Amino acid sequence: MKRTSAALLLGLLGLALAAFRAFAQQEQPGVSNQSCLACHADPNLGMLLQNGEQLSLFIDSEVYAQSVHGQGGYACVQCHTGLRGYPHPSFQAADRRDLSLQLYAACQRCHSGEYQRTLDSAHQQARDRGVLEAAVCTDCHGAHDTRRLTDARSGALLPESRSWIPQTCARCHNAIYEKYLTSVHGAALLEEDNPDVPTCIDCHGVHSIEDPTTAAFRLDSPQLCAGCHTDPERMGKYGISTQVLDTYVADFHGTTVTLFEKQSPDAETNKPVCFDCHGVHDIRRTDDPVKGLQVRENLLARCQVCHPDASSNFPDAWLSHYVPSAERHPLVFAVDTFYKFFIPGVLGGMGVIVALDASWRVRQRLAGRLRPGAGLAETEAAQTPATDSAQPAAVEPAPEESNPDPGDG
Amino acid sequence: MAEPPEVSPPQPAPRTYPRFERSQRIEHAVFLTSFTILAVTGLAQKFATAPLGGAILGALGGIETARVIHRITAVIMMAESIYHLLAVLHRTIVRRVALSMLPALEDVKDLLRDLGFYLGLRKIRSRPGRFSYVEKAEYFALVWGTLIMILTGFMMWNPIATANLLPGEAIPAAKSAHGNEALLAVLAIVLWHFYHVHIRHFNRSMFTGVLSRQEMQHEHPAELEAIEAGTQPLPAPPGVIRRRERAFLPGAALLAVALGFGLLRFVTFEQSAITTVPPGEVVDPFVPQTPTPAPTLAPIPTVAGVRPASWRGRFEGLFRDRCGSCHGITAVSGLSLAEYDSALAGGNSGPGIVARDAQASWLVRIQSQGGHPGQLTSDELAEVIDWIEAGAPEQ
Repeated sequence: MKRTSAALLLGLLGLALAAFRAFAQQEQPGVSNQSCLACHADPNLGMLLQNGEQLSLFIDSEVYAQSVHGQGGYACVQCHTGLRGYPHPSFQAADRRDLSLQLYAACQRCHSGEYQRTLDSAHQQARDRGVLEAAVCTDCHGAHDTRRLTDARSGALLPESRSWIPQTCARCHNAIYEKYLTSVHGAALLEEDNPDVPTCIDCHGVHSIEDPTTAAFRLDSPQLCAGCHTDPERMGKYGISTQVLDTYVADFHGTTVTLFEKQSPDAETNKPVCFDCHGVHDIRRTDDPVKGLQVRENLLARCQVCHPDASSNFPDAWLSHYVPSAERHPLVFAVDTFYKFFIPGVLGGMGVIVALDASWRVRQRLAGRLRPGAGLAETEAAQTPATDSAQPAAVEPAPEESNPDPGDG
Repeated sequence: MAEPPEVSPPQPAPRTYPRFERSQRIEHAVFLTSFTILAVTGLAQKFATAPLGGAILGALGGIETARVIHRITAVIMMAESIYHLLAVLHRTIVRRVALSMLPALEDVKDLLRDLGFYLGLRKIRSRPGRFSYVEKAEYFALVWGTLIMILTGFMMWNPIATANLLPGEAIPAAKSAHGNEALLAVLAIVLWHFYHVHIRHFNRSMFTGVLSRQEMQHEHPAELEAIEAGTQPLPAPPGVIRRRERAFLPGAALLAVALGFGLLRFVTFEQSAITTVPPGEVVDPFVPQTPTPAPTLAPIPTVAGVRPASWRGRFEGLFRDRCGSCHGITAVSGLSLAEYDSALAGGNSGPGIVARDAQASWLVRIQSQGGHPGQLTSDELAEVIDWIEAGAPEQ
């Protein structure tokens, strides 16, 4: 059953692919890439932009052939739909950026999903504010040299794409890239090709890249880090604790942030999140001599960012993501342990007394010897007047209120 | 149980026995209220990630608001505790009332007696005086618990000062003790206080101030006995009280000021943390790398002695860019502008360029009509005409 449906699915996919191929070929009526290259293979072909800059119109056919679109056999005119035939209709661009902004809209014809997601992105928001440099499709993916980044069948990111990602973002975010290179994540990616460390997109997303300076991003960031740092399989390889989130949430700082995230995700709190202590793009190993938080001076310096008056004892107020134990934080462990026994001990003792008293009362009432609503010790007189030598029954039996006490009269 | 044979005296109103003065009942109300608010706002913080804890904090306007409420209420409870201390001192020093709330060996014996009674080993219960071990245990737990809460609360409220004196680990230890003690206090109230004061028999004396004779009989038989035997010590005469008060008040005022100052310091001791959001990463997000230079057009080779306004210096390039698609190697209509000579020769219409005669040059004639594919701008056309009129030099 499973097999047949898989075969069916494959067959459908094949059919769809064939149809798409046919469509793709249909889309190049007459105007083959050769026709375009008759002119555009000329390294001297160019046009004048309105700012006086010369724009080369040269296309390196070798480079295009290597690109994901070239390999797929796509025709120039499938993107440059406005240019069919010759002479081309007039085209004007103020400058190179204007040209990119006019032409990148072509991508969405085939990649509408990705394009739609970019509409929510920080890049789009920046462009809406008039920051024209904010990235569009071609800034990251290139135009005629677009790379294949994902596996064609599974859609999973190709291993070789991972190191290419930070290098791509670096084109505009070079200062951040320089920091990332020094981080435990960046160094492992670019020096060792480590598959477990995050690239830019693992934290920031792809296409719908969120503004990371908002309160909401900050509040959500511990969950972002926890995505990998609570994964035993990934952390086990490096001997890193997976209790980092739980211990953070259990602490004053983490409790606050977690509640804010749940209850008012857009509100600001000054309680620190992971990156306030560990760094953002320059996260180091915790035993790093310069920035690692296992080094006392480094931790104190971090504390003092928010607690300027903190003294050298102060960092111990934070349990460094350890669950208190006899070895780690024995004082806290001792208090925890004391109450673990003290609370049940006290309540147990109270409970025994209450239960004994209550059961005696219930038995009395069942035996009809306690009137409902009557108070304590009523039955003493009825039971045993003056038999206990230690407790001389000085109170005479006075079962009725109407029997006035001699002392009162 | 026969009626007394004597003539019955007029029925007096049922006698009541004073239990709590008005000031004590007010104290109870203040403590009860602050305890409840502290318990709700505090336990909700202790169990903040549990659904109920989160819901309570949400209803209170968030965890930061809950913290503010908790702290204000803590100040109220501490002020009440200071008042209580002064009131107890007044009762002891001025009125010389017996310290009937102090635990004694007799209380342990009473507990053992009751246990024996419940287990059927003894025939009668203990006979408490003014306060039984039940009440003393609760009072002792309350005093002890309040002291622990104040101490650990101070440590959490003033962590920097605490870490100056103690190891930093004392602060999380204080947090653990504070939360655990709170849990114990609330559970003990529910189990011990509710059972003995509300469930077993609803004792209203904390609101009415008095107990009935029957209640006294049941709960404080030894005290009732002493009252009725007239062995209770009499209150001191007013003159003595006034004399003692004159001695007591200055000291008490001093103590009150000192404790009040302590409370003020408790609240304002230190600014533990900045009130702004930590700066995070300080980095300029947009720092573009020096871009790979865009491919530039291959430069037109310059030869010594080439004039700018010549075929080689200007028009070869212009015609290649603007006209080359048709009038390059493809030589549409027989015209190729790729070479100087072929440009002069022209195409099917006639000579392309005739030196010093722009009118006769077909290039100028066609371009002057406008609308030609690859139309030169009027400035460019003017340049071409000037060049032709100047003899259309090749170099």
